[in-house]
Amino acid sequence: MTLVSGDATVAEEPERHSCEAISWLDEVDPSEAVARGGAKMGRLAELLASGVLVPQGFAVTVEAYSRHCRESGLDGRIDTVLGALGPDPDDAAVEAASAEIREMFAGTPMSDGLAARLTEAYEELCLRCVDVNVPVAVRSSATGEDAADASFAGIFDTYLGVSGVERVLESVRRCWGSLFTARALAYRLRRGISHHDMPIAVGVIELIHARASGVAFSVHPVTGKRDRIVIETSWGWGEAIVQGLVDPDHVEVGKADGRVLRYDVAHKKVVSAFDFAVGAVTEIEMPAKLAHRQVLDDEQIAAISAAVTAIEEHYGHPVDVEWVIGRHRRAGDPVCIVQTRPVTTVEPETTAAPAYDPVALAQKYLFSGKPIPGR
Amino acid sequence: MANVVPVDAWSTGEWYPGYKPEFFDMPWIVDPAGPFRPGDENSFWFLDFHWSRGLTPLGATLWSGDGYCWGTQHAAESLPLPPGRGVSARFAGTHLYGSALPETDPAQIEARAGRIATNLPHFLQNYRSIWESGRDELENTWSQFRAIDFTQVSGDDLPDLLVKARRYHKRSMEIHFGVMYPMLANFLGFYGACADMGINPNEIGKFLQGEDTKIMETDRKLYDLALKARAAGLEPVFEAHDGGRLREALGRHGGAASGWLTEFDDFLQVYGYRAEATCDVGVPSWIEDNTIPLDLVKTFLQRKDSHDFSRAATNALAEREEAIENARAGLTREEQAVFDAGLASNQAANFPWWQDDHNYYIDLKVMLPLRWGCQELASRVKADRQDDMLYLFWPELRDVASGEKPYDAELRGLVDARRQYFDEWHGRRGEMPKVLGTIPENVEDPILIEIFGLNPHSIRAVQNPDAAAQTVMNGVPAAKGTARGIARVLQSSDELHRLEPGSILVCESTSPNWTPAFGKIAGCACDGGGMLSHAAIVGREYGVPTVTAIGVATLSIADGDEIEVDGSSGTVTVLRRAAEVAASADAPRTEEVTA
Repeated sequence: MTLVSGDATVAEEPERHSCEAISWLDEVDPSEAVARGGAKMGRLAELLASGVLVPQGFAVTVEAYSRHCRESGLDGRIDTVLGALGPDPDDAAVEAASAEIREMFAGTPMSDGLAARLTEAYEELCLRCVDVNVPVAVRSSATGEDAADASFAGIFDTYLGVSGVERVLESVRRCWGSLFTARALAYRLRRGISHHDMPIAVGVIELIHARASGVAFSVHPVTGKRDRIVIETSWGWGEAIVQGLVDPDHVEVGKADGRVLRYDVAHKKVVSAFDFAVGAVTEIEMPAKLAHRQVLDDEQIAAISAAVTAIEEHYGHPVDVEWVIGRHRRAGDPVCIVQTRPVTTVEPETTAAPAYDPVALAQKYLFSGKPIPGR
Repeated sequence: MANVVPVDAWSTGEWYPGYKPEFFDMPWIVDPAGPFRPGDENSFWFLDFHWSRGLTPLGATLWSGDGYCWGTQHAAESLPLPPGRGVSARFAGTHLYGSALPETDPAQIEARAGRIATNLPHFLQNYRSIWESGRDELENTWSQFRAIDFTQVSGDDLPDLLVKARRYHKRSMEIHFGVMYPMLANFLGFYGACADMGINPNEIGKFLQGEDTKIMETDRKLYDLALKARAAGLEPVFEAHDGGRLREALGRHGGAASGWLTEFDDFLQVYGYRAEATCDVGVPSWIEDNTIPLDLVKTFLQRKDSHDFSRAATNALAEREEAIENARAGLTREEQAVFDAGLASNQAANFPWWQDDHNYYIDLKVMLPLRWGCQELASRVKADRQDDMLYLFWPELRDVASGEKPYDAELRGLVDARRQYFDEWHGRRGEMPKVLGTIPENVEDPILIEIFGLNPHSIRAVQNPDAAAQTVMNGVPAAKGTARGIARVLQSSDELHRLEPGSILVCESTSPNWTPAFGKIAGCACDGGGMLSHAAIVGREYGVPTVTAIGVATLSIADGDEIEVDGSSGTVTVLRRAAEVAASADAPRTEEVTA
């Protein structure tokens, strides 16, 4: 709450809601954002600071996780389980250890202090969103090496549409536990990385009620061509796209002039929708009337392109993003960015202007011994 | 593991009666032509559709040696093609098989790549003057031959005239392939770039269509003659007689027919110096034998609906502009710059256009002077038939012409035996293997892929032992649209008169002399031919649904079958077999649907 000052000419220092355990996106220093909130939440804070529209929300910090493990005795119990695994365990042993540790996280309550800070933060988010028990996305936000979130893409838990403080607390603990999925365990064992070197943060962010969502790449993700933006999209939330459950609409946009180069409308069989009975986003069959319909219009494509271009410029390297068009977005509004990552596999930038070179093309397509594409 | 089809049956050393290996003695560059020889099974040989009649001794040796081998190998050295040394030729009986000659030495390939890097841009910058000066040189030589009255040439000069005629053919092929290879390289580079930029490959051929050619001009003039025949009330005469008897019948008819024949002869003076075959001394020109052009007039008259050439041309141009616009719309600005420059280069040096147009100047008439010399010699030595000399080999012909050797009973007997040999092998064309030797999964030579249609699919198709029984075939979707009709399976353009309006033409492949047929057929299905083959180009120009590179269309489809050609998907389906069609009380319906 902002205190009303008697002296209106003196600018009030805005009330801060962050603490050691909680790091609000709009309060954290961008230079500390990744260290405190993990890669996923840290980058959202960086985007926000650079003027990109992102959802409201906060991170349950790396420090909160570490302290929870330390003070609840989880650290010691985890070490016991992992120590029993030996140097070269089989898959079944890793599975069993993973299940045991995750069960420990689910069964270990937060300290009263942490629960109180998290409850306050969630209530603050409800207030900001002007909603009771506002549905949120609870997302794991890993730390560690740069490639961490690439190597671990999709490995840690994300819960969409979590509503009410009890469910939020439980989802946070489940996200913590997902640091010990069998895949993550096996990866760290193989690479000799200790879980202590990559503690996890958890993001709690406003769930944007998605009319449409998707991913966008500032370079072609397959060919690496830098002259275009590629967008993949479907109705509803983006989970079905990210998990590859739906064949999305495919759009390519010329970077130089923003022209839509192609728009392939897919037959979209599945949609990620909010299930009010369960209180979560789940995958259901796409309504027939939406399955064949084109998702994006030109204005929306331009807004997505503008956002992904701005983000690429901000970071100075190609990126992919997850974006959402909320139900209440109007033409001219920016789209909401919920995640961004660097793209590492791109063709080197050519400095020379592209030209028609018949000799090079004949070499490439005729005399290389490879079939001409499309033949 | 590549499939090997042995060549033992053909590499016995036996060939035309009286053949001696020295009859193939002529200068060669990388690999000389000849009958199949042991060891040839190590290369990949394909039956060349251009000579589906088979070749006479003179035609076989001079075309394969001076023409095919010399021309392609010369051009492959001049440009050069980095990994290719041109094409070589072999005979199984009278039938010609071709094979691409690979260059495998990495150092050579690299050195050749360095040379093409200079030569190809030079060619493209000077394409117009290079092609036109070559064409003019040949036209100049041609007019010299036209100016000669062969009956008045002295006996001493006749051997020399034959040598000149042979040299004219050889020089023509140097110019022909010298222009063809760089144009094709430029086109296929552009093609590859387009395909890489996501342009539908089936659209690329359209970007360069719609330019008028001498061959299309010939068709239009012939059509005008048909309209004049109709106006003059001559339709009943055409209806009552086949091409072979039409000239005589029109002469008897007198009156308007005489006037029409005068116009027809004027037409022939300009357009009639073309044989119904590519570089084949064994085949007469239209002016020598009026059957084909008169049959074509008859065909035009049989069409109920008139073929509007100018509308077809306008449509082709409109389709071209639309295809270009659609393609550009899907490209980034950077890609558009590459596309526009490549399109401009290919419009200036337009390979698909040249591929049709050059036939008027080269392929269809280049053997005529030699043919005239042979006919004159035949009449002087009182040969039994006017074409006897075509059954001699070059050294024999030279000796007969110079009087070194009399055209005596021995030679006459040999000519008779060779004529029988030719006729026997002509009858065996349908059973000739489409491919011989070591069959690869795919080939790399652009001419083999684009002109002959030897893609991985068709190479597999020709190896299918059950080809004769299959009723659904796939090929290259060369010209869009769908057509149903009765199949006419033709061995060569000699049989063009069997086509009726609405027929579906099924053949090994077409050449420019088949072009007028596209004015009346409803669809076309070919064993060979890629996107740049004659059938593909003409099918698009005439709006005739066409599928090429099926591999086995002439095997799987029988004359009289009712079939459907889907030129958009590249599928050909046998709907009813000929027996069923004949048994059916209903007259088979012919319909044409444009997709």
